[in-house]
Amino acid sequence: QMFNMAQQELESRVDLFNKMTLSCFNKCIGSRRESELNMGENSCIDRCTAKYWQVTTIIGQLLGSSRPPM
Amino acid sequence: MVDQSAEPPASDSDGSSAPPPPVEPLKLPTFEEMKAQDVFNNCAVKSIVSCVMGGGMGIFMGLLFGALDNPLNPDQMTVRQHFTHAAKQMGSKSLHMAKAFAVMGAIYSGTECIIEKARARHDMTNTMVAGCVTGGSLSAKAGPKAACVGCAGFAAFSVVVEKLFDRAA
Repeated sequence: QMFNMAQQELESRVDLFNKMTLSCFNKCIGSRRESELNMGENSCIDRCTAKYWQVTTIIGQLLGSSRPPM
Repeated sequence: MVDQSAEPPASDSDGSSAPPPPVEPLKLPTFEEMKAQDVFNNCAVKSIVSCVMGGGMGIFMGLLFGALDNPLNPDQMTVRQHFTHAAKQMGSKSLHMAKAFAVMGAIYSGTECIIEKARARHDMTNTMVAGCVTGGSLSAKAGPKAACVGCAGFAAFSVVVEKLFDRAA
């Protein structure tokens, strides 16, 4: 049973990582692409991940606090 | 957390071609590598490097212009005197130009770095505004009209140079 919880947690984390990279890539990196990150793209990605993480923690806390006791 | 190892694809149905080369596992950069790459991401480091490079270029251009500015005149001085005089003039001119180029490079690169970090986008307006600020600050002593002209001129010049580098890179 603990194994199932751990598996779910890992799956959710992997999902979070994939969604974060996909959405920040779509938002931040423009059409003209070179092999390295520009400075603007770099700062954009910093901000994007910080905001995404903050939103995730806030929503997680909201969800966790309003969940009915098991 | 992303699946970091990719296995080679299963062999295809056509047996004539050789099996495709195995896909190498994805190698995410380590923390040390990212920190090492981040050194050049700093605005201060970038502007100092640009200042030094501007100084070097100014020295070369000063030598060139100093050599061009000295016509050979055998009547007034001997060859050796002429040589030392020309060398001193070349040296002073190269130093002057080196200072000017270094300041220009530092201001331009610093402002462009700051603007791009604030906007978080890689555009052509970054170079235009940075060029305007540089041109304006360099010719600010000659009055506001000269500052506007310098701003526009340097912005156009930097846009042209940036387009050249973009094509080449």
